Amino acid sequence: MKTENAPVIEVEAIVSRFGAQTVHDGVSFTVERGTLVGLIGGSGTGKSVLLREIIGLQRPTAGRVRLFGTDMWHAPANELDAVRRRFGMLFQDGALFSSLTVAQNVAVPLREHTHLSSATVDALVALRLQQAGLPADAGAKMPSELSGGMRKRAAIARAIALEPEVLFLDEPTSGLDPITARGFDRLVRSLVDDLGLTVFLVTHDLDTLLGVVDRLLVLARGRVLADGTVKEVMAVDDAWIREYFSVRRIDSDGS
Amino acid sequence: MSDTRWFAVQTDAERTTLRLAGAWRLQHLAEIEAALAGLRLPTPVAVDGSALTSIDSAAALVLLRALQGTQSAEDSAAWLGFSAANGRIVEKVRAHLGATSAAGPPRRPGALAVLGRKASALADLLGGHLNFFGATLAAFGDALIQPRRLRLRELTVQLDQTGLTAIPVVALVTMLIGIVITYLLGLQAEKYGANIFVVDGVGIGATREFAPIIVAVIVAGRSGAAFTAQLGSMRLTEETDAIRTLGLSPMQVLVVPRVLALMIVLPLLVFVGDVMSLVGAMAIAGPMLDVTPSAFMARLHEALPVRHVFVGLAKAPVFALVIAVIGARMGMTVGRDTRALGIATTSTVVQSIVAVILLDAVFAVLMQALDI
Repeated sequence: MKTENAPVIEVEAIVSRFGAQTVHDGVSFTVERGTLVGLIGGSGTGKSVLLREIIGLQRPTAGRVRLFGTDMWHAPANELDAVRRRFGMLFQDGALFSSLTVAQNVAVPLREHTHLSSATVDALVALRLQQAGLPADAGAKMPSELSGGMRKRAAIARAIALEPEVLFLDEPTSGLDPITARGFDRLVRSLVDDLGLTVFLVTHDLDTLLGVVDRLLVLARGRVLADGTVKEVMAVDDAWIREYFSVRRIDSDGS
Repeated sequence: MSDTRWFAVQTDAERTTLRLAGAWRLQHLAEIEAALAGLRLPTPVAVDGSALTSIDSAAALVLLRALQGTQSAEDSAAWLGFSAANGRIVEKVRAHLGATSAAGPPRRPGALAVLGRKASALADLLGGHLNFFGATLAAFGDALIQPRRLRLRELTVQLDQTGLTAIPVVALVTMLIGIVITYLLGLQAEKYGANIFVVDGVGIGATREFAPIIVAVIVAGRSGAAFTAQLGSMRLTEETDAIRTLGLSPMQVLVVPRVLALMIVLPLLVFVGDVMSLVGAMAIAGPMLDVTPSAFMARLHEALPVRHVFVGLAKAPVFALVIAVIGARMGMTVGRDTRALGIATTSTVVQSIVAVILLDAVFAVLMQALDI
C-alpha cells in the first residue's frame, strides 16, 4: 500500500486494434479512491474491451494500465495475484458457478485465499449475502433457481467476499426491471459510502448515471470524449452526447 | 497477558478496555481470529478504536462474534474513539448480526428418504418417457395423414448427420470386433483342429448379436447425445418456444425427423457393421488359422443361415426408436440452465445404452421362445 491518495486505476494511452479496426486510440484517465465512476459509449466503442484490459484479461495493443500502482501487463505473476485479490469483478450474467449453491459460490474465494475457520467463513458468507441485499434463505439455493436480479446480487456478494478495494461492474442493471435496477443502484452506492469501495461500472442505464454516479467518462471515436460529473458531461457540445441525453432533456424541460 | 499486535487489554477500577490497533483487514484475519480465540474478557468491556488504522466488515464481523454475549456487543456507547468510517462499518455489521438469528445448517435427508426420492424420480423419468413416446407416435400419425407435414429437408440433414458421417467409426470398430472374436475363438478351436468352425461362430455371433449391439451403442453415444444437446440448447435459447409461437409443432419439426432418420439409418449401419466384422474376421482367419478367404466364404454360405442376419437387422429399428426417443425427450425437457443440459446429455447416453442392452436381452429370450 503506497500513499492512500494515489489513484487506484490509471489508464495511459491505451490503443486496441483488432485486425485493421482500431477500437481505442489513446484512451487515458485515472480514478481516485472512494468514487463511483461510470463509463458510457455507443455499441462497438469497446467499453467491455477496455474493462477486460484494465483487469488484465485482454492485452491492449499499446499503452499502460496500472491498478494500485501495479502495471497489469508487466508485473510478475505473484504481484498480479496480490492485485487480483484487491479488486472484484461482476460479469454481465453473474458468472456464478452453476454446480454450487449461492452460499458455496460466495465461499469459494474465502476458502481459496484465507485460512479462516469454517464457522467464520459461514458467518462471513451470511454477512456478504446481507450486504448484497439477499435474504438469508437465498444461500441454500442453486443459481438456476434465482431471478436475474437475485443472480446479480449473488454475484456481487461473491465479488466483495474478499473485501476488495475496487469493484468493476459490467452492465450491472441490464436485463433488470426498473425497480430492481434502482435497488441495485442503491446497493452499489452503499458499497461506496459504507464500505469505502471504489466502483468502476460500464452501463447503458441513464437512471444509474443520473442517480448514483460521481463521475462519468464518455468513450467515443476511440478516445475519452468527455469526463466529469453528469451535469458537466451533459453540457459538452457533441452530437452523440446530445442525442444520448436527449430523452432526459425533454423530461426535465417538460416538468 | 493477552496483548498482541492487534489489541491490548487494559483493566482499571471501573471496567476493562479492549484497545484495538493496526489494520484489521481480511488478509490478516486468520491471525486476528486466532488471537481473539484466546481472549477471555470479563464484562463490562469497552472497545477503544482510536489506534485502529482501518477495519473492514469481515474483521468487524469476527470482532463482534468474539464479543458476543458480552454487553459491549449490543451497547454502542461502549465503543470509543472509532473514526467515522470505521464506526460506520462496525455499525453496519452489528445491524446485520442483530437481524439474523443463527439459522442451523440444513438437515441432511436420511438414507430411506434418499432411496424414496430416487425411486420416485426414476418412476417420473420412465413415465415421462412413456408420455413422450406417445406424443411421438401421435406426431407420426399426423405425418401419415398429412404427409406434407413431414420435414423432408430436416430429415435429409439428420440422415446425413446420424448415418453417413457415422460410417467410418462404425466400420472401424466393428472390424476390430470381428478380428478380436475370431482371434479368441481361433485360440480355442486350434486346440481341437476345428479351425474352420470359427467361421460358424463369428458369422452367427457377429451378425446376430455383436454388430447390432456395438453399432447401437456407438449411435447412442453419437446421435442420442447429439439430439439431447441440440434440442436442449434450442430450448435454452427459446428456439423451441419460437417454433411453437409461429404455429408449428416442435414434435413435428424437430422430433419426428430425428426419430425417423435414426430408424432408417441404424439398420443400414448395422449392415455395414455385419460386413465389416466379417471382413475383419476373414482378414485374420487367413494368417492365423490357415482358412483362406475362399474357404471362409464357402463355409460362411453353409454355416450362416440368412435368418440370423435378418434377426440382427430387425433389432436395429427398435434400438433406434428407443435411442432417438430418449435423446429427444431428454433434450425437450431439459431445465433452462447450462448445467442441466450437461447432466441431461450424460444421462441420455447412459439411459440409451442400458435400454439397448435390456432390449437385446428381451429379444434373445423372445427369439428363443419363438424358435427363430
